[in-house]
Amino acid sequence: MSDSNMNKSGKKKFVYYPGCSSQGSSKHLDSSLRAIVPALGLEMEEINDWNCCGASVGNIGGGPLPTTALSGRNLAKAEQQQATDVITGCAACYLNTHGANERIKADITLRGKVNESLSAADMSYEANLQVRHACEVIVNEVGIDKIKARVTKPLEGLKVAGYVGCQTVRPFANTESGGKYDTFDDPKFLDQFAEACGAEAVDFDLKTSCCGGSVAVISPEKTLHLIRDILQAAQDSGADVISTPCPLCQTNVEMYQPAINKKFGTNFNIPVVFYSQLMAKAFGLDAKKDAGLHRNTIRSEKLNILVRE
Amino acid sequence: MAVSSDTSQKYDLGFARWVYQNVKGGDKLSMCMQCGACSGSCPIGTEMDHGPRKLIMMVRAGMKEAVFQSNTLWNCTSCYRCTVRCPRGIPVTHVVQGLAAKAVALGYASEVDTARFAHSFWWSVTHFGRTDERLVTAKYYFSFGFIAGIKKSLDNLKIALGMVMKGRMHVGLPHKVSDNKGLRAILEKATEIEMRDKQGGAES
Repeated sequence: MSDSNMNKSGKKKFVYYPGCSSQGSSKHLDSSLRAIVPALGLEMEEINDWNCCGASVGNIGGGPLPTTALSGRNLAKAEQQQATDVITGCAACYLNTHGANERIKADITLRGKVNESLSAADMSYEANLQVRHACEVIVNEVGIDKIKARVTKPLEGLKVAGYVGCQTVRPFANTESGGKYDTFDDPKFLDQFAEACGAEAVDFDLKTSCCGGSVAVISPEKTLHLIRDILQAAQDSGADVISTPCPLCQTNVEMYQPAINKKFGTNFNIPVVFYSQLMAKAFGLDAKKDAGLHRNTIRSEKLNILVRE
Repeated sequence: MAVSSDTSQKYDLGFARWVYQNVKGGDKLSMCMQCGACSGSCPIGTEMDHGPRKLIMMVRAGMKEAVFQSNTLWNCTSCYRCTVRCPRGIPVTHVVQGLAAKAVALGYASEVDTARFAHSFWWSVTHFGRTDERLVTAKYYFSFGFIAGIKKSLDNLKIALGMVMKGRMHVGLPHKVSDNKGLRAILEKATEIEMRDKQGGAES
């Protein structure tokens, strides 16, 4: 799919869509991605003046077409920068932007309506871009061997539970437009990332179980048991840390541990990090500025060693 | 439960047709064979009064009021497990989310938590072009009233302080897109097109 997607010089040009959480709860995903993507040999520049993707409730708050127009504006901006591919590390940004892009490509009527909306700001989108998740790009454009080759400080002895979550792989990972990079229910890429970094990927059954997503933010009492089950499985697997690609998973599974301990009488204290933080660390990049490990609220001995080194 | 065995009840049979035409993915609902893979896959089915399988049957039975009053609409976490497992290719998540959006638009759900949150969220998008996690959350908490807002804020104070300490809660003026005027014009135009299509009866 992406071979035909080249700019005039025959090269791909990646632009980066950080998404709103990059300026708040998930600064550590943003800083680590900005560090590891170039380290893996891919240049990327940020979309100029990007806006929100519509998250999980845009359709309810603003309606379907205005929500699609939000993605339309970001895509139009990326096209102005002569991009061929848009990369994002956020599951919700990917879900919305990729979904909107594919619908705009397939449905000429919708494309007309999006462009009519964009014309209010003298913009238009020709629908020539691919929107890709950072994990898919790392699997398909970089490859696991190249990750291994880049590692200078292997994470020896670190046991990692790879918690993929939902929207990083569903509903697109195993589709043509999504790059067919892994399965919906039992993806392997996150474990491969950890192992490429020299860590040990433990067997972790709940790797694609839901943390509650935005329902965990809106009505936590409905979803704390989902996170408890994820933490329990991670603990049973002997993991030192949980690694995830998703901003909302990271925040939910980390931040609700005290509330879960209070509600269920448990004693969880498991660090939850982004895979990209582990990669930044294994690549010998700066533990704070790049890996952002000081931004994790739950610290274990193993994590502290990573931060200090 | 809202499902009645009273066969004399008159269903609004136009409702299913309306859903087929007006809800994203709704046109696929006639494919449903009621296997229940969706409800069985749902992580949060225990919180739902009906679950997706039954909700789809209720749509087809024309039970408009019961569908729009169902809490199934508000408990979907968008995990997409039902969607990828459906053997008939129905985008179940989109249908449930689409029905939720229609329920709000038609005035069935103004007091529902998700509708309040969506309202706070869209306020941030239209004012700043971005989600200010802090302000969206605060506006959502205080949508329940001043006292309830204080209580909800206190309940989550530890989390909020933890975020501030780690530099993960923005503390200055909201981050904004620089061309906020252009973004607003785009959103207003899109809303206008959606209204125009609705009056013409087309799907949006």
